[in-house]
Amino acid sequence: VIVSGVDVGSTQTKAVILNDRREIIGRGLCDTGAIITKAAEEAFNLAAQDAGVPAADVDFIVGTGYGRYRVTFGHTQVTEISCHARGAQYLFPGSRTVLDIGGQDTKAIKVGPEGQVLDFCMNDKCAAGTGRFLGAGAMALDIPLGELGPLALQAKNPVKITTTCTVFAESEIINWLARGKKVEDVLMGVHQAIATRSLSLLRRVGVEPEVTFTGGVTRNLAMVQILEELLEMKLNVSPEAHYMGAIGASLFAHDKAVSGAAGAAEALGVESELEAARNAPELCNVNCPVPVNRGKQLPVVEVKA
Amino acid sequence: MSVKQAPAPVQEDALVGRARREGNQLFKEWFSDLQAAPEKGEEVAYVFVMGSMAEILRSFGFQMSFPEINSLQVAVRKVAMDYLNPAEDYGYSTDVCAYVKADVGLHLQERRHPNGRLPKPSVVVATNMCNTYVKWAEIWERLYGVPVFVLDIPGQRGIGWEKRYDKEALDSDRRYVQAQLLELIALCERVSGTKFDIDRLREVLGEVNRMAADWSAVLKLNQNVPAPFNAMADGLTYMGILSGYRGTRTGSEYMARLHEEMEHKVRNGLGTLEEERFRLHGVGPACYSHFRRFLELFQEWGAVFVNSEYLAYAGGGLDLGIQFDLDRPLESLAEQIVQTGQRSMSNMFFSQDQLADVVGAWHADGIVYHSVKSCRTVSTGMADSREYLTKTKEIPSLFVESDLVDPRLWSEAQFKNRIDAFFEALGARKAAAAAAGRVQK
Repeated sequence: VIVSGVDVGSTQTKAVILNDRREIIGRGLCDTGAIITKAAEEAFNLAAQDAGVPAADVDFIVGTGYGRYRVTFGHTQVTEISCHARGAQYLFPGSRTVLDIGGQDTKAIKVGPEGQVLDFCMNDKCAAGTGRFLGAGAMALDIPLGELGPLALQAKNPVKITTTCTVFAESEIINWLARGKKVEDVLMGVHQAIATRSLSLLRRVGVEPEVTFTGGVTRNLAMVQILEELLEMKLNVSPEAHYMGAIGASLFAHDKAVSGAAGAAEALGVESELEAARNAPELCNVNCPVPVNRGKQLPVVEVKA
Repeated sequence: MSVKQAPAPVQEDALVGRARREGNQLFKEWFSDLQAAPEKGEEVAYVFVMGSMAEILRSFGFQMSFPEINSLQVAVRKVAMDYLNPAEDYGYSTDVCAYVKADVGLHLQERRHPNGRLPKPSVVVATNMCNTYVKWAEIWERLYGVPVFVLDIPGQRGIGWEKRYDKEALDSDRRYVQAQLLELIALCERVSGTKFDIDRLREVLGEVNRMAADWSAVLKLNQNVPAPFNAMADGLTYMGILSGYRGTRTGSEYMARLHEEMEHKVRNGLGTLEEERFRLHGVGPACYSHFRRFLELFQEWGAVFVNSEYLAYAGGGLDLGIQFDLDRPLESLAEQIVQTGQRSMSNMFFSQDQLADVVGAWHADGIVYHSVKSCRTVSTGMADSREYLTKTKEIPSLFVESDLVDPRLWSEAQFKNRIDAFFEALGARKAAAAAAGRVQK
């Protein structure tokens, strides 16, 4: 059988193709952008091309990530929390804790020996401590993302970035530069801020070795090094880490295609919701603003002393 | 392709769903009674759901307005921002309790509520059971210049859940509260121009006794599989009646009829959904600005809230099945106020063992902690409680955060993602347990 996992993240969409023996034979990556269904199709087609497999020959497809219900050609959906756990355990069977730093989410996941999710914690309501925080730093300093890590590693006296807001971090960075701090020192401060926040999420689920680091930020060497120093242990980091969600999704797809049972995926999926998503026009899925009455004159209230 | 469909709700008939329909009707009547009070020459007391002092106030014939219920309703009716904005324009910070702000917005707009026009208060009664109540009462005091009575309930002495029942401490606290009740009675006499009648108080206490007995039995019926009611969805209606009709014949009769309906459902194996796949215990209130969606996100998975901590606190502590001793009404009332008060105030520190007991007795598969962004009082301690239960008792739990009233604090993508992942893990856990041959609850 040939199966696929498509991970539609807030920033990038990743897809992988697995063969019968659960080997990764194709990968596809593109920016998610505004038209989620297109991004899912594009990543999937790229992966199929990479694998040299006609798209029609793929037997089972699982969608994951925030846009999972937009993988309209997929057969079912699994959250990326379950997928990262499953993928990490597949590549590193000793994984008991998974840290995923993605574009807008950082997740600490406690996993069981079969890759099952025992507990998880995520950043709430705010993108502080996520890949987006690094992106904001990169933008403020005008440095390409790929150069952030190597430059940060040259730091001698890192500054402390204290703000908890990704947007305000930009002004804090500018402020440090205005005070004459070196770019690498400021950059290291940004990395340390993210690492510290990730660490507190990890502590909430409990740090049990082995710890596997997943998500796009794994490609940043400075982040890996800082996390290893703070945790005082080596992290499992796979060159496939960026695709971990898609790998986990494809493993669920493989279960389903082979045995007819998709494990955790079996319990999933609200068909009606998927149907609605399939039929819905391609619109943004951001909640519409609540109507406000700010234009109205406030009543005069007699306030007694 | 074997994708599971969301289970359908159980069909209603003349008896099934009666409490929901009657509850909604009673709510309408409660507000119209409140609205008509000034015309009828009745006095209105502004009180809070925790420590409403309904027993004393009812004995004087006061109509009661509960700001939490008024604020909750503007959220459910999707007009919360029409009330939050004027309050924020007036100067209240976005961080302030959204119940308070929705209420301030109501008073800034001449008390025009989606249900009608709220009358002005004649008296305000607050307790220290929520640390915002006192400041909230002061807002009305400034607006209307009416007397405010604040009942001070002593906090728990010592650590641990069971300390509430320490006999000596309880007796001393009871005397302290009882002395204050006499002051409240004197104030009520002054405001209403009516003399206190202890036999009338006895009658009111008797109605509360009946209501409490039926209510605690109803709660226990939800230990059955399937559970006859959803503690977050249906529970909201029942909770409203517990507050709004506490100490009235209408209220106790309603509760008896609810009891009858629930017994009927249990006898016939009727739950709330055609298939009950997961049983949950809720900690914290629901998100009322997106109430339907909040409930759907769980129901789509076939999950039912079989109990909710909120039913205890916002239901005025009647879950304990308290029975007043009618031979010594005031002492007995003071004793109960101390016990329910201390339980609410200590909850943030000592709830964990109690939660584990409820999970066991109600056969819950896990706990959902819903933290309220604008209310630190109900949210404090949730993360610690969750950590303790996960690590020491292996009780699965989910932690999500939004708000009671403020729709700006709801983020469906994040919310749904966490809920889905929780059920994926819970489903896998149940499947593994079933495969291992262990009998599932």
